[in-house]
Amino acid sequence: MVSGKRTRTARALAVITSLTIAGTALAGCAPADGRETVRFTFSKREAIDFMTKVVNDYNASQNKVKVEIDTSGVDVVSASFVRGNPPDLMLANYNFEVARFVQRCALTDLSDTPEAGRIRKDLQPLLDQYGICPGKTTVLPYSVMAASVIYNKEIFAKYGIQVPKTWDELIAASDTLKAAGVAPFYGTFKDNWTIGQGWYDYAVGGEVPVVDFFKKMNEEGTNVGPNSQTSFSKDFAQPVDQMTQLIKDYTQPNAGSQAYVDGNLAFAKGQGAMYLQGPWAFGEIAKTSPDLQLGTFPLPMTNDPKDLKVRVNMDLAAMIPTGSKHQKAARDFLAYLYRPSVIDAYNAAQLGFAPTTDATMPNDPRIAGMIPYYDEGAVYQGASVLVPKTIPVFNYVQAIALGGSVKDTLNTMDADWARAAFLAPKLPSDTKGSAK
Amino acid sequence: MTTTTTIVTRGDRTVRRSSKRVEPIYYLFLLPTLVLFTLAITVPAVMGIFFSFTDSIGIGTWSFNGLTNYIAAFSDPAILQSYLFTFGFSIATVVVVNVLAFLLAVGLVSRIRFKTGLRAIFVIPMVISGIIIAYVFNFLFSNSIPALGSATGIPWLSTSILANPDLAWVGIVIVTAWQAIPGTLLIYIAGLLSIPGEVYEAASIDGAGRFQQLTRITVPLVAGYFVINIVLGFKGFLNAYDIIKGLTDGGPGTATRSVAMTIIAGFNGGDYAYQMANATIFFIVAILISLLQLSVTRGRNAL
Repeated sequence: MVSGKRTRTARALAVITSLTIAGTALAGCAPADGRETVRFTFSKREAIDFMTKVVNDYNASQNKVKVEIDTSGVDVVSASFVRGNPPDLMLANYNFEVARFVQRCALTDLSDTPEAGRIRKDLQPLLDQYGICPGKTTVLPYSVMAASVIYNKEIFAKYGIQVPKTWDELIAASDTLKAAGVAPFYGTFKDNWTIGQGWYDYAVGGEVPVVDFFKKMNEEGTNVGPNSQTSFSKDFAQPVDQMTQLIKDYTQPNAGSQAYVDGNLAFAKGQGAMYLQGPWAFGEIAKTSPDLQLGTFPLPMTNDPKDLKVRVNMDLAAMIPTGSKHQKAARDFLAYLYRPSVIDAYNAAQLGFAPTTDATMPNDPRIAGMIPYYDEGAVYQGASVLVPKTIPVFNYVQAIALGGSVKDTLNTMDADWARAAFLAPKLPSDTKGSAK
Repeated sequence: MTTTTTIVTRGDRTVRRSSKRVEPIYYLFLLPTLVLFTLAITVPAVMGIFFSFTDSIGIGTWSFNGLTNYIAAFSDPAILQSYLFTFGFSIATVVVVNVLAFLLAVGLVSRIRFKTGLRAIFVIPMVISGIIIAYVFNFLFSNSIPALGSATGIPWLSTSILANPDLAWVGIVIVTAWQAIPGTLLIYIAGLLSIPGEVYEAASIDGAGRFQQLTRITVPLVAGYFVINIVLGFKGFLNAYDIIKGLTDGGPGTATRSVAMTIIAGFNGGDYAYQMANATIFFIVAILISLLQLSVTRGRNAL
């Protein structure tokens, strides 16, 4: 009896499986309504629901193009480039991994699209930092994420502290909090990325002109070291020293063994006044304390309020690969994505900033403190994401945060930079003149 | 691994000597493994060695750059440090594992109560995946022990040893040993059970005490098992990855990055060819160690 039941179950399973396979196969080759299919890759997990809705709205709004959303992630996209079957339109987090397609000119020139004309010009250097395809605009920013110090407004109000605009004010505020028995900063040094993304990037970006610095570092290349004009050990020593001062004097005692998740919980419970995290932490904090009053301000590293800047990253950028066979249709969907109603709604929902000149600024009070800086272009990209991944910068800054030598670590980074430059393969962008 | 292969070859040779013609069916037995081994190990290894002489990042076009990767690797303190860490860690772990496992084995073959139950309990760590063990111990080291430390007012317990660059390796040795002891223990128990009871009787008639019996009879008679455990253990620890990944992820800083970790970082970091050069060097080092171990153990009664 048992075996009879099992056979029946197995048979049922087999039928279901074969039906599913047949169904998928049919869906795969369905020309159905004669629409041109555009494969659109998008893998930002938090926003997949939102973007799926955008795609459905677009598909319903016209009858020439059918967009299919592919959320399988960046590794699959890379592999599809290698196979010569890239997606028709990509909306991806912009980083070194994606920039490889730019450097190798595997993306189409979008400079003639109306959307390209609406992008803020002051954001271009941030894209170019990752590498360029000479003479072409192949990447259009879609969503910019800004990050700076998150602070607990309730604690600040309780002790009568104003948002600090200079280094001295920051130290004074921290001393007040420390004297009152509140940890000024909540550190989560067990997760090394939190030190890189927060402490290190905010400290360096508040003091060093990041774009300029990395431009010079690229020119120095293999020469970077104790005798070069520009180096980590020369230019970063001051901000990193200040960072260690904040870590040593103003974080809670167990910062070394706390992880990101521990930090979100503790900060939500009011166990720290300031938290060096990005807007992604708001959602996590709200899980514990949905009504906690939070705000943001750029970390002051100098005594000149003009130096105040916020850290940004190109959370999403749009690209159309040269290998796409549906470029015209992809451009049509691109135009739809950049309609103010779509791009602004997306950024409002994700606490991001739209990179367009006609953008409406977000109205969430938690990120309001960063709007003036973003508006004026007082922004920088994190120094931790602008080094090749071969340099384990998160590990290095963790060593510093836990008491390692600043000087030795920065010297190691110089040596690593020179080695990476020595090993770097030749790219089209390097051989501008000689190629022709 | 190596030891087992030797046995097979030796057995094979005897077969061949006794009867000239070999049944073709034996080759058929070898075929599936040979095909899989070639596809999964040999081909990727040869490809990796090939790409170590190029500037490939794993995708796209590449060109040959001769020995550039090797020159850079030999001057890279990060790679050097990962070798030092890996060897130091392996030696420490081999010593800890073998001493503890041997003592446990001696205890577990003697006439004690609950012998079977205890054996079963001690073997449990062997069947749990390394990454799970690592995450559980990570929690213990980072949360439970510091909580205990601050509750009892012992300052050195109240910070996690995983956050201390000088001591994090101790945590890794403890957890790796915890996982590796059962396997080693089983081999020692097998070895101890193979010693005939008569030699102990003879020894006690001659007036040898318990401790003398241990050092003069037990240890020499299980010497072959020591060799196996040390060789197998050392090779396993050289490839340490999952437990380190779960405990410290190479940190704090770069204090606990093993060679395997630096090589794997090459896949994500876009320096594929460079880390393939590193892997080739590691491969050669591993072969040299194996040859050394074989020459040392040859002639001994290693099974």
